[in-house]
Amino acid sequence: MADSLLISLALLASLLSLALAFLIVYVRDLIYASGMLALLGGLTAGIAALLGYYLVAAFIIIIYVGAAVMFIIISVSMLGGGGAEERVNPRGLLLGLVTLLGLGFVVFRSPLEVGSVPVAIEVGEVAGELLIRYAPVVILLMVALAATIIEAIAVARR
Amino acid sequence: MELIHVIVAGSAVLMASIGAYGVASSRNLVRQLLSVEVMFNAVILLLLVMLSSQPSLATLLTIVLISVVTGEIVVVVALLISMYRATRSLTSEPLQEAMV
Repeated sequence: MADSLLISLALLASLLSLALAFLIVYVRDLIYASGMLALLGGLTAGIAALLGYYLVAAFIIIIYVGAAVMFIIISVSMLGGGGAEERVNPRGLLLGLVTLLGLGFVVFRSPLEVGSVPVAIEVGEVAGELLIRYAPVVILLMVALAATIIEAIAVARR
Repeated sequence: MELIHVIVAGSAVLMASIGAYGVASSRNLVRQLLSVEVMFNAVILLLLVMLSSQPSLATLLTIVLISVVTGEIVVVVALLISMYRATRSLTSEPLQEAMV
């Protein structure tokens, strides 16, 4: 019963995600498209939570949707919602088809073993690995992000 | 693979192809950024499914990935604002003309 509920929710969230992805690419107004990207991020967090990755789900909601996508929405609102644009359909269709076939082949023919659902994650273990084993990575990431933000401010003020 | 993994991985592959279509079919730079973000969401889901036998590694990689992408978004939007001030346009044609 619990498994069928989990699968039904995952199926519903996946279908909604696909519909939102399609609308993001097709809807004319970029402000609406940015808002739909926030909804897509929320659905991605929901699917991550269904798979058992609660920490990742919280991180997606707080950092990605709460900061990055909101930044996109505010910036796009300032620049204007856009209007009619020229589409280059054959090139896009070709790239979409190549991505679908290539990625599908790699994912479904992958020899990687997948675990059970939901996964068991010890937050203490993740924090320990992040702060001890991967400490240089975290320091580099912090420096890179600080440099990125300074660079962005410099570019936007120019 | 369990059924839930197949559902999530399948939708992620489809989402990535929709994003790729959006990147290649539009000349508007904001639309291209949004399409890249659609692909990024697909990559997150694929990462979580493919590394579900090592959940700690999947969590760490996803957190680092989200941090890097957040920085990327900040820089790209700053560049778009700067370009819009210079050209009053958000399409890629002025960039192509400047490169010629």
